[in-house]
Amino acid sequence: MTDRSDRSIRNQWGRISAHLLGGVPLILLGWQLVQGRLGFNPVESVLRWTGRLALGLLLLSLSVTPIRKIFKISAISAMRKPLGLYAALYAFLHFSVFALWDYQLNIRQIYLEISNKPFILLGMIALLILLVLAATSFRFWQRKLGRKWVWLHRSVYAAALLVILHYLLAVKGDLFSLQGAYAPPLIAAGILVLLLILRIPAIQQCLRPTFTQQEPDQPASD
Amino acid sequence: MKEKPYRSVPLEPGEITPKYLYKTRRQFMKQIGVVGLGALLASCAPANSGNPGAPGMVLPGAGGEVPADVLTAYEAVTGYCNFYEFTTNKETVDELAQDFVTQPWSVQVDGLVDSPKAYSMEDILAKFTQEERIYRMRCVEGWSMVIPWTGFPLRQLLEEVQPTSEAHYVAFETALVPEQMDGARSRMFPFPYTEGLRLDEALHDLTILATGLYDEPLPPQNGAPIRLVVPWKYGFKSIKSIVRISLVAEQPPTLWNTIAPNEYGFYANVNPAVDHPRWSQATERRIGESGRRDTLLMNGYAEEVMPLYEGMDLTVDF
Ligand code: HEM
Repeated sequence: MTDRSDRSIRNQWGRISAHLLGGVPLILLGWQLVQGRLGFNPVESVLRWTGRLALGLLLLSLSVTPIRKIFKISAISAMRKPLGLYAALYAFLHFSVFALWDYQLNIRQIYLEISNKPFILLGMIALLILLVLAATSFRFWQRKLGRKWVWLHRSVYAAALLVILHYLLAVKGDLFSLQGAYAPPLIAAGILVLLLILRIPAIQQCLRPTFTQQEPDQPASD
Repeated sequence: MKEKPYRSVPLEPGEITPKYLYKTRRQFMKQIGVVGLGALLASCAPANSGNPGAPGMVLPGAGGEVPADVLTAYEAVTGYCNFYEFTTNKETVDELAQDFVTQPWSVQVDGLVDSPKAYSMEDILAKFTQEERIYRMRCVEGWSMVIPWTGFPLRQLLEEVQPTSEAHYVAFETALVPEQMDGARSRMFPFPYTEGLRLDEALHDLTILATGLYDEPLPPQNGAPIRLVVPWKYGFKSIKSIVRISLVAEQPPTLWNTIAPNEYGFYANVNPAVDHPRWSQATERRIGESGRRDTLLMNGYAEEVMPLYEGMDLTVDF
């Protein structure tokens, strides 16, 4: 029912919200950093915040399509791509902090870390996937690759899985007995599982009516 | 190895400024021009009221190829530390721990000893001459500090209670007061926190029970009122807020070693050659500096403590 200009305004809102979600934390982090308000171990703080933000934005980007389909909110579809690009940006910053600030481009040490520590290797693979996806996210590549593009971009789920494993392994404690601060990565894992379940077409079919038919049935309740 | 900050200076009762300051200040002035880092650190630290050891002071014996050791600012030592009974957040622990009640306090010393005894803190402070010890402290998480502790060798206390000939290990236990410890209520970890040392390690002159830092009583987050400091081992061995010390025959269970024995060995000696799955043990971030410095074998105390481990494969018994 919406006409073209109306829709593009809505898309605009989607895009603006995505830039707010992605950009504001970056500005805050940069501001805190120059103010020296990131504590006594700023390298660790920035490393952790960029990592968490990358994962958070990645999961948000993956939630866009299910939310749009189930709740029929088409306006948010414009958020998917910028959120994904921000996730890749934060992941790249996360790696840059590691390589440039923490290890001061000491290639030998960086190589030793990547080759000796499984959690770093997992992060590295995830980062490579995210960078390839970011580079091919433009319409040019989408057109050129056709159906292959769709398959390529499904590897974003693999990247999310690898990042969550990376997070689980970065926590101090024991994963198998769950002794340690495992709540945040496990919540992320739960969200990813939910997103994967929501991709099953049959599940989408059942959910759609329950959510979208409520509005006309229910009279204004207050 | 000349780069070790290890100074032992007995304090006269009631003495406020430790003697080491007078001795080292001259050297400090000399080196500060070369190193510069000290000045940088000192200028970052807020005007330190009543803290006699000026943060940023360069320790004697420093220089050469190994970068100088500089006292870590009081604010960082007390504002950034791990005490999981309160929280896993190193930077909010000071607030969460500030109401921890440490008076009255008693330390039960028992097990395989001739004369078991419960010491009150007053007993301990009256009986054992407190001295200043400046030690490097290396956390298993890959960061490090240089801290001026006040305390006394654990050996003095053990000699008083007389371990029997069957005693081969010393087990330590931290207070567990869930009403005052937010983190201890969450049951994320099998508290009470426990640690242990081999008897010869416990008797080593570097091993101290600390009651203060920067010449002030220990703040709660740093393990008030009394804690262990074993400078050649990763920080988690230096158990805080001790309520019990038991002499035992067998290697006692310790918290981190119980949770993840493949990552946290019983010995937990600082060793750049034994890697950890998460953190680099070859290098470390010195709090207050940027970049990394090389981690030293036994945290720089190899000369003193390597004889303890003669004939042992340190990559197996890590
Ligand atoms: C080469 C690639 C990567 C390297 C070298 C790397 C390195 C690290 C390191 C060293 C830590 C531990 C920080 C600490 O506890 O002190 C960490 C944690 C983390 N990383 Fe990465 N990482 C990489 C890729 C990624 C990617 C691609 C993401 C997300 C998209 C990510 C997300 C995280 C998260 C969420 C944490 C946990 C933060 C926390 O403890 O709160 N990492 N990473």
